[in-house]
Amino acid sequence: MTALFRRALALGAALAPLAIVSPAAAQAVDYSALEAMVGEPVTTSVIGKPQRASEVAASVTIITADQIARSPARDVPGLLKGYAGVDVNRWTAGQSDVAVRGGVQTYNARLLVLVDGRQVYLDHYGLTDWNLLGVQLEEIQQIELVRGPAAALFGFNAASGVVNIITKRGGDAASARVTAAAGDHGVTRLAGTASLPLGGGVRAKLTAGRLREDERRVPASLLAPTPIADVSADQVSGEVSARVGSGEAVVGGGYASNEQIEYLPSQLLSNQRYRSSNVHAGLTQDTAWGGVSLNGYVNWLNADYGVEGSDGRYSVGAPFENRLVAAKAAVLYRLDTANTLRVGGEYRSSRMRGPAQFAETIAYDVGSLDAMLDLHPLDRVGISAAARVDRLWLGQSGAIVQPALDDPAAFDRAFTRLSFNAALVVQTSANGRVRLNGGRGYQLPSLVSFGLRLPLAVPTPVPIVVTGSPRMRPVAVWSGELGYTHALGATRLEATAFYTHTSDAIASPGDGLEPNLELFLTPAPVLAARFAAVGDYATYGTEWQASGRVAALDWRVNYTWTQTDGDLAGTALPIPYALSPRETTPRHKANVALGYDGGRWYASGLARYTSASRQFAFSAMQQLLLFRVDDAVALDARAGYRLSRAVELFVAGENLSLAKGAAGSPIPADRRLRGGLRVTL
Amino acid sequence: MRQLIGAAVVAGSAVAPLPLQAELNVPIAVRVVSFLQPPPSGIMPAAIVVAPGNAASLADAAAIERALGGGAAAGKATLRTKRVPVTALDSLAGYRVAFVTAGTRDDQGAIAAAAARGSVVTITSDDACVQAARCVVGIGSGARVQITVNRAAARAANARFGSAFLMLVKEI
Repeated sequence: MTALFRRALALGAALAPLAIVSPAAAQAVDYSALEAMVGEPVTTSVIGKPQRASEVAASVTIITADQIARSPARDVPGLLKGYAGVDVNRWTAGQSDVAVRGGVQTYNARLLVLVDGRQVYLDHYGLTDWNLLGVQLEEIQQIELVRGPAAALFGFNAASGVVNIITKRGGDAASARVTAAAGDHGVTRLAGTASLPLGGGVRAKLTAGRLREDERRVPASLLAPTPIADVSADQVSGEVSARVGSGEAVVGGGYASNEQIEYLPSQLLSNQRYRSSNVHAGLTQDTAWGGVSLNGYVNWLNADYGVEGSDGRYSVGAPFENRLVAAKAAVLYRLDTANTLRVGGEYRSSRMRGPAQFAETIAYDVGSLDAMLDLHPLDRVGISAAARVDRLWLGQSGAIVQPALDDPAAFDRAFTRLSFNAALVVQTSANGRVRLNGGRGYQLPSLVSFGLRLPLAVPTPVPIVVTGSPRMRPVAVWSGELGYTHALGATRLEATAFYTHTSDAIASPGDGLEPNLELFLTPAPVLAARFAAVGDYATYGTEWQASGRVAALDWRVNYTWTQTDGDLAGTALPIPYALSPRETTPRHKANVALGYDGGRWYASGLARYTSASRQFAFSAMQQLLLFRVDDAVALDARAGYRLSRAVELFVAGENLSLAKGAAGSPIPADRRLRGGLRVTL
Repeated sequence: MRQLIGAAVVAGSAVAPLPLQAELNVPIAVRVVSFLQPPPSGIMPAAIVVAPGNAASLADAAAIERALGGGAAAGKATLRTKRVPVTALDSLAGYRVAFVTAGTRDDQGAIAAAAARGSVVTITSDDACVQAARCVVGIGSGARVQITVNRAAARAANARFGSAFLMLVKEI
């Protein structure tokens, strides 16, 4: 029995009483029914209990199923990019990163992404592959974006925010939705979801999708592998749920694959192939005093890096296998008619295996306990406070790749971190609300940054090995915000000022590493280029939002100003680390969205302004440089015609204005058009 | 800037006319029924409590009937309404839900007693009825949906709601 397994058993035993004392489960929340009742989206992502979107004590955006269906966007980052406080960089046709309140970088590890509470953020490299979510837009009930650290509720990596994707629950009748679309640049997409009642409160849901599209044209001035992989993504998933009285049980699983070219954190372009699968199960029980939930899942990932010559003309491959096992229990207890207490526990075990690492297996286990108190001492005042303790045990096992660049004992370490959030909400008038909230969360070093060991393919006089460090520390993110919202009939106004401070940001080696290389002389000379904590930075700014509806027309405008302070490793040539949020985060962003739904016809459009930035990339001369990305006004639009209640035709386009800087990438954005058919049964 | 905000106010108020004070928001009332525990299913008789001769009450009852038509789905249940005059409250027995119309304030004490005897969940637009623990659920008539549940009245009517529902409404 391994030490890790013993710890898992011990923690399981510790959590067991939670389930026994409270034999019920977390809220069986029917988001669709609750939204229909209160006339606005409902979320549990802020304090763990259902709340109306207009009453939450955080800056939250909820994108509903109706908004998704009419949006020109074709994926989740495309939907998020039109909202305040969000940077979406579409580095390549397939690779996107979403950054909240600054800190733009590739493989952004600061945003935790969940689908129905299951982590789809990939632990091995600390990233989200938005083409590997295992969910289709057609099955999404709502997308919730929480800005600011939410680590006290969600744990590590919810350092700058959380995206919680909630899928639809099947109704009492059989239903299906299929979308087929095709466009220029080789775009083809087929997606479908079906829900089937099996009787006795049992329902089955099946979803599948297939996407193909060509990569954008990579300028000759950039280093790129040959050939460049086009985007392919396939997915299938299924779920069976059963409702018995006030309880619900869910069992499901899925498989997804994705191949595309991506910018690595080192800013090398590389062709990747991912395959992921999962099984998950959950129990929820609604009770007179609250609710209890028990959830568990296993995610498997096979990630092949450098599928086709990731290093320019030199080919190097790095396969990783990552398995994540997670079990969670939570109890939500209503102290009285207005106040609630939530207590939870979680155990996670993440294991990475592969040849390009210190040892055959690099792994960590995390045990967590959290508590959240939501109090309303006065009718007009709400106070919430949450804290979470995470204890992580790091380890390695199996054959160690020689020469070992670290003492194996360095991996035998553990650390504890305390995350917390606190918020005060005051109803200042019948329609006005002020909120003050803040917290501290942590971004966990990825398994790669702990244990990578990858020889550079480029011939050098002394071999260079890119390597992680077992001594890496979690990145602390402090955040505070002051916000005011005001409702004027159907019009909603919101203003927020925010401040975020990041300590010891982690970067992977880039270029110009000479001062940072470690020399190992025995048995043969080797130079180690390590992942490193390169410094602190702060972002602060304001977000202004307004939205409303006039008859069949809905509208939304927002503006975000983001200032970033902190130089980190510097950007003077040669650039040692490809991380400089001050350069990569645009200072100004503004969005105007309009939608019209006249019954048979509908149309929607989004105009986005993004100020100029500079983004890292390797030049064709194999030098890491900052490339200017021009400011851009991008126009996206979609129009649809409903032939009947079941059949709809649509056309959509992204970046109709052909603004090269619209993607926020060194690879200029192009214009993409598509048309299709949607059938709803 | 002031003009901009002013324009927004006008636009906002222009599209969200306030419903008449006394009129029950029937679609919301029906959705509230679906959150009863255990969840109702099948044909569910629903009473419309009216005060004969009271114009407001009769108008409210007619509006409820129009809104529900031949039957409205409340989750897995289908509501079928029938008027019950305040002069014959004993016939509330056998119903699970009753919509208490406007203009019945003088009879709310008797309605509450009959509802408690028959375990009937009373739903109204009259906030005073809920505040006085004579009705179980109150649905506000403003542009923003406000639902109030009186705990004592719910207990008396043997009514239980899902906790997710209760965390979204005002419970008194």
